[in-house]
Amino acid sequence: MVNLENQIFSSYKRNPVLFDEIFDEKGQVKEVYSKLFNLYGEHSINAYVNLNEKAKASFFNQGITFQVYDKKKTQEKIFPFDLFPRIIPPEEWEIIESGSIQRSRALNLFLWDIYHDKKIIRQGVVPMSLISSSANYLDQMVGLNPPGGIYNHISGTDIIKHNDGQYYVLEDNIRCPSGVSYVICNRTALKRALFGVFDHYKTYSVTNYAENLLDLLETVKPKGVDVPNVVVITPGMYNSAFYEHSYLAKTMGVELVEGRDLFVENDFVYMKTIKGPVKVDVIYRRIDDAFIDPLEFKPDSALGVPGLFAAYKKGNVTLANAPGTGVADDKAIYTYMPEIIRYYLNEEPILNNVHTYHCSRPKELKYVLDNIQNLVIKPVDEAGGYGISIGNRLTKKEIEIVKAEILINPRKYVAQPIMSLSVHPTYIDETESFEQRHVDLRTFTVLGKDREFVLKGGLTRVALKRGNLIVNSSQGGGSKDTWVLKT
Amino acid sequence: MLARVANNLFWMGRYIERSEHIARYLRVNYFSSLDAPNQISQSRQFVLRSMLTLVGDPDANKEGSIDEAEVLFKIGLDPNYPSSIINNVRNSRENANSARDLISTELYESINKFYHFISQYDANVYTKNGLDDFTRNVTEMSAILRGKVRSTLMHDEIYAIIIMGANIERATQVMRIISAKYNDALKAQGSYGDKFKNSFEWTTLLKCTESYDMMRRHYKKTPTSITTLEFLILNPNCPRSIMNSLNQVCKHIKILDNKKKYDRDSTSFLVGKVRAEYEFKSIVDIEKDIQLIINDTLNHLYEISQKMEKEFFSY
Amino acid sequence: MSLEYSITYKAENTYEESVREAYWQFLIIPEENDSQQFISIDFTNSLDATSEFSINGYGFKTIRVHPKGEFKSIAFEANFKLIKKEINPFDFEPEGDVQKSFEKIQELDFKVDHDTFLKTTDYTLIPEKSKNLFTFDTNQSVFENLRALSSFTHHYIKFNSEATDVYTKLSELLNIRQGVCQDFTHLFCAFARLNGIPARYVSGYLHQGNGYFGDSQMHAWAEAYVPFVGWIGFDVTNNILAGTDHIKIAHGKDYSNCSPLRGVVFSTGKNETVHSVVVSSQDQQ
Repeated sequence: MVNLENQIFSSYKRNPVLFDEIFDEKGQVKEVYSKLFNLYGEHSINAYVNLNEKAKASFFNQGITFQVYDKKKTQEKIFPFDLFPRIIPPEEWEIIESGSIQRSRALNLFLWDIYHDKKIIRQGVVPMSLISSSANYLDQMVGLNPPGGIYNHISGTDIIKHNDGQYYVLEDNIRCPSGVSYVICNRTALKRALFGVFDHYKTYSVTNYAENLLDLLETVKPKGVDVPNVVVITPGMYNSAFYEHSYLAKTMGVELVEGRDLFVENDFVYMKTIKGPVKVDVIYRRIDDAFIDPLEFKPDSALGVPGLFAAYKKGNVTLANAPGTGVADDKAIYTYMPEIIRYYLNEEPILNNVHTYHCSRPKELKYVLDNIQNLVIKPVDEAGGYGISIGNRLTKKEIEIVKAEILINPRKYVAQPIMSLSVHPTYIDETESFEQRHVDLRTFTVLGKDREFVLKGGLTRVALKRGNLIVNSSQGGGSKDTWVLKT
Repeated sequence: MLARVANNLFWMGRYIERSEHIARYLRVNYFSSLDAPNQISQSRQFVLRSMLTLVGDPDANKEGSIDEAEVLFKIGLDPNYPSSIINNVRNSRENANSARDLISTELYESINKFYHFISQYDANVYTKNGLDDFTRNVTEMSAILRGKVRSTLMHDEIYAIIIMGANIERATQVMRIISAKYNDALKAQGSYGDKFKNSFEWTTLLKCTESYDMMRRHYKKTPTSITTLEFLILNPNCPRSIMNSLNQVCKHIKILDNKKKYDRDSTSFLVGKVRAEYEFKSIVDIEKDIQLIINDTLNHLYEISQKMEKEFFSY
Repeated sequence: MSLEYSITYKAENTYEESVREAYWQFLIIPEENDSQQFISIDFTNSLDATSEFSINGYGFKTIRVHPKGEFKSIAFEANFKLIKKEINPFDFEPEGDVQKSFEKIQELDFKVDHDTFLKTTDYTLIPEKSKNLFTFDTNQSVFENLRALSSFTHHYIKFNSEATDVYTKLSELLNIRQGVCQDFTHLFCAFARLNGIPARYVSGYLHQGNGYFGDSQMHAWAEAYVPFVGWIGFDVTNNILAGTDHIKIAHGKDYSNCSPLRGVVFSTGKNETVHSVVVSSQDQQ
């Protein structure tokens, strides 16, 4: 039962169909949340509104903002942040952490393989088309051995909890995953606003990310370098993630550079300092592949460093993540993740993949046609959400059209069950009350040479629009502090 | 430190200092003129023209009369006028942004708050009756920033660059203020005893540089052209004097360039040379040709800035 | 018998406004391979900026220049000397069994091995409606089919150095049916890949003693992989096999991997580039 004396939850409406992170199916507060629930209940709605406003002002004054352009005027906005944290119990975190590491390691081995012998393709485990038709596969990376054998130094894994209470991975981000700075800012903001609640829970700290990142980046230094000079490269201060870039450089204590601060001479990379050139050994790059070197990739890129790729190829500098990692976070690769994990690690996947039915396989095709109203149909070769049909939102007539299209070219389609993201009570400004909102979780995994690290926390993203499943900040998503409890 | 970022920090220091001096000049001149002893000094047109002169726009709307609200808006909050206070503060924040990983969180937060304060200031309130409040806030927030620079940054190269920028700019602004008030003093010579030497404008000048109280304590007499200029140019203990700024620049260049080697092409050499020149100047030299020393000083400061750019900011 | 070639490559860039910073990367050094033996290289520029030798992403030698200081014009001159063995392009063991060849190219391992040069790129994309313009005859050997493709391409496109530029794609080429070596080569590669034969774009120099089409700049031809034989060069523009007069620099998926000069120049206003190439030879005993 929702305690009606608990003021700030008095108008909370629980939709029993959705998996609520803090209330069980009977409407009882789950054990792990009970103390927090009571502590928040001590606040009147007004007091809570007040705290919320202060937290927002703190973000704004610290300049943890992004810019919105409309009608010639640029406006600065903060990322919406919710003061009610999400708790991940230790036994669940154990699965998430080991599962994230497992996926990152498998993806790393996969990348090594597809840029070397391509055994996984030759043995028919994944189809050739996954790499031959991928725009993110870089021929220039074939045969190149990245320092320490690491490609995806930093991975962001997007995980949801389905209405069966199980965690599922929706996406692996291994290009330039962002968001980690918000994990730390959210924690700071929550500590400032509601420090008292931390007395009642033993939560892992999230501020150790930068030191671990630096340590692990130092393990993949180029050969012959003793103490590597690490830098972070950013597209510049107008990039929407600039705050994060500067935050990471600052907390690692390394230089934040732009392309124009670097130059290449005799295949070594240098930065231009007030005392002349200083050699750079490891570059944590927050610039996409296409822009890192105008002499090798997109020729009109002003963000990159001419000659950088040649220096990298020669082994004189480390790029993290390695160029060409994007091929492994394509949607099509995702569907093969269980096979990829089994193939390279000889282990069963720890985290669930959303099951994918390949219409190219006759049995699966039959299942898809029979159960289309419960499935999402996706073309394998389209990106960005094009051509997706969601079964339960189609009319009978539309279902017949989709079926016909699948039958014409079954190879072109895959299908997945419709996933339902769990919900979490979230404070909504407009109604000044808590409401259910869908959430996901992005974990941050760092791979080094023979070592790995997962940030014990991660970014819980919230879809702020009612009923919306899209949690991306570009689409109006917010975030929550995420507590991983110590055992 | 990256050359580009060093340049940005240098200018961050300069822009903060610049907005402070402009803001104070507006306030002091406007309010001093209200009960000035001399008719010209009291004239609103004269005061507004003086303000425009300071920001480098002496000939704006030269023929007609100038509108008070327009001038105040232009210098204070006009986003389209490059020398406005709001643009100076915006520039200092942009520069801070690009060096955000190097400066302290506390300093950045103060600059950011400063910018938000100005960008949210109601222009109508400001031009009608907010001049005092607005400019006082600008000068106070600049003072806070100065404190944050001194107390939340390591006194290393980063600090040295910011301090050098601030001091070169301070000397430049003080000299420009001297220049503007010198010209005002020439124009505002009445027919009574308040000739050039004893002009009311010298008091205003001292107030514009926050030095009036110090000066009175030091000389114990009503300011004259000679005592004022001596104090503001040559007195090393006056924190706003040219001499003091040069001493600061000289001290901090040594953090950036600790070579003992004699190199007459270096910034360090130039700074030392200019400083020595002022150290052994006397007010008698200055009095002979005030305009000359104004021009010389501004030229020297410009040269130092150029030299720094060449030596440290461009590779 | 061998020939000694001497190649002079010149480029001159002029800019309307001063250039603050510039990087150039030249892909003009002849490749060292079985038939090409390098003797000397001499590369200079009018600004006396240092030249750096490096290897690009595809493994070919490049020269990079990054002048210090501002300028408005710069001239480059490269002189290469190399010895080229006389080649008889027909001197190879032909495919024994036609059927086996066509089976081979269907094998997964073959496709994986040659993935890079089987891919369709922007420059080698044939519009749907033109895909049947040329089809392979599986009764003939792969080599014969490629010769037929070369001949088809040579006759289908008319040489015209004014009709196209470095950005021309096949959809346009197939409309105007006029172009230069680069266009011939792209079209050939496209049809070869469409039929499962790995094909790559080759840039190089052509010794023009024998009245070939080409021009006084760089030349381009194709190399196709014939199963059980290996890579064979097809100069589609002249409808011959690449031989002793073809001095190879680099290969790639298409022109964009092989452009002789890539540059990043920070300047405003117009600029102009003039290139020239002279290839001369003398017999070696």
